[in-house]
Amino acid sequence: MKKYITLLIILSFTLINCEKDDICVEAITPKLIVVFYNDSIPANKKAVDSLTVWAEDNVNVYENKSGDSIAIPLDLTQNSTTYQLKVGTKIDTLNFTYDRKDVFVSRSCGYKTIFENFKIESRTANWIKNDTIKTTTIDNETAAHITIYH
Amino acid sequence: MKQRLILLFIISFFVISTINAQQKTDTIKTKQSYGLRVGVDLIKPIISYLEEGSKGLELVGDVRILRNYYAAVELGYEDKVSKEDYLNFTTKGSYIKAGVNYNAYKNWKGMTNEIYVGVRYGFSLFNQTLNSYTPNVKGTYFIPVEMQPNTEFKDLTAHWAEFVFGLKAETFKNLYLGASISFKVILSTKEPTNFKNLYIPGFNNVYLNDTGFGVNYTLSYLIPIVKRKK
Repeated sequence: MKKYITLLIILSFTLINCEKDDICVEAITPKLIVVFYNDSIPANKKAVDSLTVWAEDNVNVYENKSGDSIAIPLDLTQNSTTYQLKVGTKIDTLNFTYDRKDVFVSRSCGYKTIFENFKIESRTANWIKNDTIKTTTIDNETAAHITIYH
Repeated sequence: MKQRLILLFIISFFVISTINAQQKTDTIKTKQSYGLRVGVDLIKPIISYLEEGSKGLELVGDVRILRNYYAAVELGYEDKVSKEDYLNFTTKGSYIKAGVNYNAYKNWKGMTNEIYVGVRYGFSLFNQTLNSYTPNVKGTYFIPVEMQPNTEFKDLTAHWAEFVFGLKAETFKNLYLGASISFKVILSTKEPTNFKNLYIPGFNNVYLNDTGFGVNYTLSYLIPIVKRKK
């Protein structure tokens, strides 16, 4: 009988210790995905050379990056984020506005924030020629949310 | 699927009773106590003492209905704060579990120890309060602030099935110490909106695939009602 009790106690502690093993694997708060296109041939992607990106009063997200797309985080404490995109010596300022909504994901991930009614409130035109918003709801990172023509 | 599970659960009771009807009578005659055994779970008061903000109590009871079968009931109340990496919530509610234990242990003459397997149907009525959460973001470019919504989700319910394995040993006359582990599967729940029942009183933590585990240590006393010759 005693043997069984010892076995049961060991078994039950093993089970208790197994509890905290779930790690967050689901998609959480999405970043804003920006894709760069060619202004003269709008169907073609066009990479930018040495792009530096930062949010106003913040450090750089990208520094001298080359490529045709970027993913930048949006501010979760207010309903607008202002980014500055610098190519060469030209700087353009973009102001995004949105509504925030917190959506439950899972025990280990908790809540994620999604962005609705996403808009480009203002934009300067030093090197950026045009822009389009692909979706007004940003709830995943699978496709581009905005395109920038240059 | 859920209906089928409930049906299977009900059928199992009939199967148990038919099997027992076929048992032969023993030739050696001994007196055995048949009665109501009542007890208390020893883990919950310890957790209440160790974990701040958590309270709980569970009363257990069983009656020997046939030679190796016991009808068992557990009644409990829980008020528990769960702290996850990005969440903090409180679950408050009560539960009832009812079912049957089958004693597989062959006792010596006059002994009433048990090694048993059992099934339970569980039901809980509870409230969840989402105390706080921090939106989950990769990186630290914009640091999110902790939100404290204190949203209360009332009148939530859960039904589940439980498979129990345990032991009971008579340590003093009519006084039993017991330990058991249980595996649980949710049959149905009423979920809160934009949240999930991550903890259910009596069920404990709800894991992936709606499963759960439980551990019990009980101290119970047998109130002898009838002594029946075996």
